[in-house]
Amino acid sequence: MLFHTWTFLLFFVVVLTGLSILKKTTLWIPWLLLASYVFYGWWNPFYLLLIVYSTALDYFVVHWMDKCPAKPCSISLGERLKGKGFYNRTHSRTWIATACLTFALATAAVLSPNQLRPLFLGGFILMFLIALASLLESRRTWLWVSMLNNLSLLAFFKYADFFIGNLNATLERFQWTFRVPEAYTLMPFQLDYLLPVGISFYTFQSMSYTIDFYRGHIEKETCFIRFATFVSFFPQLVAGPIERAGNLLPQFKNPPKVTLDDLADGMSLFLVGLFKKVALANYLSFYVERIFSNPADFNSPALLLGTFAFAWQIYFDFSGYTDMARGVARMMGFRLMLNFNNPYLAISLGDFWARWHISLSTWFRDYVYIPLGGNRKGPVRMYFYLFITFVISGLWHGAAWTFIIWGTLHAFGIILTRNLERSEWYRNRMPRFCKQLFVFCFVCFAWIFFRAESVQDAWIIIRSIFTGSWTDPEMPLLMLLLMGGVWTYQHLFESKFRPLLQSGIFKTALATLMIVYLFLFSSGGGEFIYFQF
Amino acid sequence: MNTRPQKNAEPESQEEKERVVANEVRLNRKQWLIALLSSGIILAMLPILWTRIEPLPDGNDYRLPYELSKDYWLYERMTGTLESNDIAVVGDSVVWGEYVRPDGTLSHFLNQELSDEPFINAGVNGLFPLALEGLIKHYGKTIRNRKVLLHCNLLWLSSPEADLSSSKEQAFNHQSLVPQFVPRILCYKADIDERLGIVFQNHLPILQWVNHLKNAYFDQQDIYQWTLADDGKYPQGYLNSYRNPLRQITMTIPEESPNDPDRGPTSARHHPWSSTGIGTQVFDWVKPEMSLQWKSFQRLMDLILKRNNDLLVILGPFNRHIMASENQNDFIDLRKRILADFKNKSIPVINPELLPSKLYGDASHPLTAGYALLAKRLANHPEFNSWLNR
Repeated sequence: MLFHTWTFLLFFVVVLTGLSILKKTTLWIPWLLLASYVFYGWWNPFYLLLIVYSTALDYFVVHWMDKCPAKPCSISLGERLKGKGFYNRTHSRTWIATACLTFALATAAVLSPNQLRPLFLGGFILMFLIALASLLESRRTWLWVSMLNNLSLLAFFKYADFFIGNLNATLERFQWTFRVPEAYTLMPFQLDYLLPVGISFYTFQSMSYTIDFYRGHIEKETCFIRFATFVSFFPQLVAGPIERAGNLLPQFKNPPKVTLDDLADGMSLFLVGLFKKVALANYLSFYVERIFSNPADFNSPALLLGTFAFAWQIYFDFSGYTDMARGVARMMGFRLMLNFNNPYLAISLGDFWARWHISLSTWFRDYVYIPLGGNRKGPVRMYFYLFITFVISGLWHGAAWTFIIWGTLHAFGIILTRNLERSEWYRNRMPRFCKQLFVFCFVCFAWIFFRAESVQDAWIIIRSIFTGSWTDPEMPLLMLLLMGGVWTYQHLFESKFRPLLQSGIFKTALATLMIVYLFLFSSGGGEFIYFQF
Repeated sequence: MNTRPQKNAEPESQEEKERVVANEVRLNRKQWLIALLSSGIILAMLPILWTRIEPLPDGNDYRLPYELSKDYWLYERMTGTLESNDIAVVGDSVVWGEYVRPDGTLSHFLNQELSDEPFINAGVNGLFPLALEGLIKHYGKTIRNRKVLLHCNLLWLSSPEADLSSSKEQAFNHQSLVPQFVPRILCYKADIDERLGIVFQNHLPILQWVNHLKNAYFDQQDIYQWTLADDGKYPQGYLNSYRNPLRQITMTIPEESPNDPDRGPTSARHHPWSSTGIGTQVFDWVKPEMSLQWKSFQRLMDLILKRNNDLLVILGPFNRHIMASENQNDFIDLRKRILADFKNKSIPVINPELLPSKLYGDASHPLTAGYALLAKRLANHPEFNSWLNR
């Protein structure tokens, strides 16, 4: 279900009505969960199995983690293997149950038909890890169970094809006859091997809960339904913002209080998001598709404009989605975090990442970069950790070399310009506009890899931009005007004209214009780019 | 990656910060009220004002051009201009005139035969009862308190596919006019979102008007697609890239070309069916009680009568010459049952005599001379005359 469809409009009216009726009862949280599962299951009901599984596991992992002693126990393993000497009885019971299940699943994996073997094997590994964590009564081991489980799901559904494909290509190159079986062959009951929509988003959100609890930053959530609602909260389920448990879970403790101001604010956010997606991103996507689907057919100006068009398309598409998500949540009385803050006005690459997909970049900062060591272990290691973090960030976006190169480019960009950005000359003497232009051009250059259908295509585009002839790019004038209009608006917003843009008359006129424009120009259709991640 | 330390700002102040740094257009309650009211007025008034500034083609022989077959807003406007004594001739491409020019249609020849009675061609190309019902329901509201001559084409019962009652997915014309949810058309597999979009379009004049603009001025495309349209050659050229879309809106609704190569006695298509090599055919007639199209036609008649119209139905004449001999009895049986249904509903119906074989272009469409003969026969038909004089 997409936000910019009539179906969603009806769905949301029903959800909002239900919520306002039920919020005086305890049923409002189950209602939100039901709505979220309907929203998610609309794409494919089988996806629900995965999200329920992932939610349940993290819920119980934290429950078990909570029963662990603060410091590792000194009771001998021998005693424990006999089911004695546990710090907490929950763990002794879990140990016995999961040890039995581990054995049963191992037997099933050996005896079952080939088609079910991977499923039983997966179950066996999971049960083994849970049994081990129960046996050790260690918070850290429980954390590893959660991490391994979530990352395995991501690895299988998102990256298996990529890695197996590359591995088999390498085997072929060395003329080895052995081949790793394709990922789809591991699916039980001949289910389709599909990438579940938004898996990267809800997996990260769920993982942040486990990690934050492990670190002692948040309390354990006792209510499963509330926790499941946090993981699957429909406005931000499929494309973020990736919320932290510390921000969103407390909002589910009490029924939301929706004021008329919340409704007005939510509608404002939704309108801007809808405009970005339907009026701008969808339009730009046609030109971008024309250029990037066959770059060899185009010359320098078309490729250059196609790249700029993609930069704006992905911004409008993704920030439009998060604006709508925040608007929808706000209309229900919930507040989601800011995810985009005029990224193309950034004056340095560091600044760009503080403005672009903020919820993801802060996630990587808090759960990857800082745990790796951050800037605590000297500049060389800091650069190395930055590099690792950005490459992982690239890989998070998709299982392809183009995404890895995109992440690597940003890593090098950050590493090479970090000191420059902090210099007196750059900060105070270089004109702001030049800095913005430099950042925008670098980001656009990196977008070429992000959008290109292959690395070869990306090289064709880059080569042709610099060496191709100058012919008519045939970009619609209307498109150029729209891009120019938004760019001018953003710059005016940062100038002395801001009070004018923020005046009531201007905002009301702009909103009226957007509503009328949407009715006249909307062309419907178009999934969100970030759904694939 | 944001490597700056995260500050735990207090929610309200953080929100305030967001408002300043992110250029969102945040409106308060009052501003929203004004924005909604003003956009509502603009959106409601645009189609109304448009009818004042965009002239409508006139003439008794005017029919919705083939290219504008899906411009239902124009159809509504056209039928809205009917005089009180005008007789609306409603139906599918048989009424519209598939092989003939505007001066070769049934309504044209009826006007010739009966000069006192202005017959208006209110047919649309590509329709069938399920779509015709939707057309009259949503866009034919102005067809009321008048005489209506409704054509019933039995071709739509000639097979489960024509009846749209098969379950295999089918592509067909005028999907936005057929019932989207009830009754269920099994061969129509649009997703729920598309169906809802159609329902909204059929109820919101502004969306119908936008559809009119697309049809009349932008080659049936939305404005965005029009600016990106290619010329179909290789390497592709993009003719509209630098054109001003507003200049496309010439305020002149396209009319049919008087030299349409596909229609009229001089066209390559305007030939008797027997000379096209079709040969006789066997039809898999659908029983009326099982037929989606026939049920829809019955609902259509009820709707027309409910709008206080004086209804007369013309049944066919279906081209029985094209029918294989073993199929004739089934057809006669079907026609009998259809006629019985008309009788049960007390709806006057004329079952005209079969036209000569050479006057049919296919199974149901007469050629120019066929329409002329049909009009002549109708003009002399006592029941037709008594209906006219009622």
